[in-house]
Amino acid sequence: MSDATASSRFEFGALTDVSLRSVLVHVAMYGAGVVFLLPYVYMVSTSLSTKQAAIQPGMNWIPSPVTFATYVRLLSESQVVAWTINTIVIASVTTFLVLLFDSMVAFSLTRLDWPGQRLILGVVVASFMVPGFVNIIPLYTFISNLGLLNSYLAVIFPFVAGPLGVFMLVQFFDNIPDEIQEAARLDGFSAFRIYTHIVLPLSRSILTALGLFIFVWSWNQFLWPLIVLQEEAKYTLPIGVVIIQDTFSFQPALTMAGALVASGPLFVLFLLVQDQLISAVEMQGVT
Amino acid sequence: MSIVDHVSGRFANLTNLERRTSRQFVEGMLFALPYLVVFVSFLLYPLVKGGYMSLFEWNVFDPSASTFVGLGNYARLLGDPDFWNALWNTVYFAVLTVPTIVLVSLGLALGVNRDIRGRGVLRAIFFSPYILTVTVAATIWVDFYSTQYGVINHYLGMVVSNPPKWLQSQLFAMPAISITTVWWLVGFSFVVLLAARQSVPEYLYEAAKLDGAGTWRMFRDVTIPQMRYALFFVVVVNIIWTFQVFGQPYVMTSGGPGQATETLVMYLYQAAFNQRSFGYAAAVGYVLTGILVLVSIGNYYFIGGGANE
Repeated sequence: MSDATASSRFEFGALTDVSLRSVLVHVAMYGAGVVFLLPYVYMVSTSLSTKQAAIQPGMNWIPSPVTFATYVRLLSESQVVAWTINTIVIASVTTFLVLLFDSMVAFSLTRLDWPGQRLILGVVVASFMVPGFVNIIPLYTFISNLGLLNSYLAVIFPFVAGPLGVFMLVQFFDNIPDEIQEAARLDGFSAFRIYTHIVLPLSRSILTALGLFIFVWSWNQFLWPLIVLQEEAKYTLPIGVVIIQDTFSFQPALTMAGALVASGPLFVLFLLVQDQLISAVEMQGVT
Repeated sequence: MSIVDHVSGRFANLTNLERRTSRQFVEGMLFALPYLVVFVSFLLYPLVKGGYMSLFEWNVFDPSASTFVGLGNYARLLGDPDFWNALWNTVYFAVLTVPTIVLVSLGLALGVNRDIRGRGVLRAIFFSPYILTVTVAATIWVDFYSTQYGVINHYLGMVVSNPPKWLQSQLFAMPAISITTVWWLVGFSFVVLLAARQSVPEYLYEAAKLDGAGTWRMFRDVTIPQMRYALFFVVVVNIIWTFQVFGQPYVMTSGGPGQATETLVMYLYQAAFNQRSFGYAAAVGYVLTGILVLVSIGNYYFIGGGANE
């Protein structure tokens, strides 16, 4: 057997090995993909089923007949409209305030030069170690003393206090070249104009990613709103899902319709801007 | 801006340098102030106040009538079997969930990183459950696990005669919650690890191949060491998340059956809002924080130290 034959046989073997492996990877990945999607299929099809069809055992792939009766019932028999409005207001205001306050403080800590800024940055970064629940009790008494229980602000302020956005923006602003700022200073730009006309436009992509992440995150919060919102009309959608489950027990069509209302808007958002949302997660991994 | 001009104008009699410094200080503070006010009021102050409260038998209705008990709340906690049960359940949940999330997300990331069709679609699918709120993820799976109309036992019943009662079973309730959690949260770790794998320079693999390294050797000697910081991050984040588990057992089992799935944050929640023992609950929060800090430091030495070799 010559060397040439041996090496060509080796390459032939390697080729089938590679393509076999590729087929296996495809099968495994798409198999996992289908498993990941099953809960969604169940949620959508059950919510569109009749009350009877929804409790048939087994997977309800395609509802027959398709009915929107459950959604109509949900509208009339629960406060889902109020919950939706509450959630949208809380998530939007939180996102706006996080972007405004965090970009301002990050600008001040990186692009301006004043005594004490290092210490403040250190404290903010160190507060990353503080898990949210340790503050639940004192924060509850504080909010209660301020008379804010049951209000949007009771939910919003503690969310805005979080250091994640500051941390992400500080790293980004730090990497903006000094020359740009120096040139602007020489042109007589004030700090305020540097912030609005140079730093903010340069940061549009990271601000978009951070804003989307904060919007989804605050939309989804459960424990803290559950504690400070104490009337059914003030609840957010994540709490509403539990209320629906308790009120209409063993009626999966209603529970799943509620779940779809609570998550549908975020799915639409995700399909529109998934790259920015995913990049916000990637940035957290890099830090 | 007029405020800045006004304030700095008052310092006109100072030397040039001092004037410049104080103007910069005022400018810097003005930009920093909105966030710092919220940060100090709603994060820093509660953190300190919580430590103070944990030393009292706190009177919810009249805080001035609270009784100082020193470390009494901490002593009471160490002697409470319900606390140890909640701690054990939380650790058990973390042990079930964290390694699974890390392994599954690593597998998915390495799979999607390969030359595969529809990579973008797969990435979106694996990430997507992460954008759900915990109650949606939990209610879907409550239906899946249902013993009356649940999908899982319907098909499992065709294979085995006596499928588990999942959420009503002492043995299976926690693993069931863990499976739900893996589906719900694995997307975050998957995205982080995929990004880390994609930033491993390709020439390292070519060099390894020239040295005759096989798939396993490349995985062990190139992929894992190159991804060590991302892996460290994913492990720590998942430990911190799983130790704070609340929504899944709250919705799926209410801590049951018995107290089999009662976790630390549920225990804290009940102490505070069912029994109104605010001082005691604050102590529970501090103990849990202490555990998390220790775990993070331990991980840093375990994985971070190995990374220096």
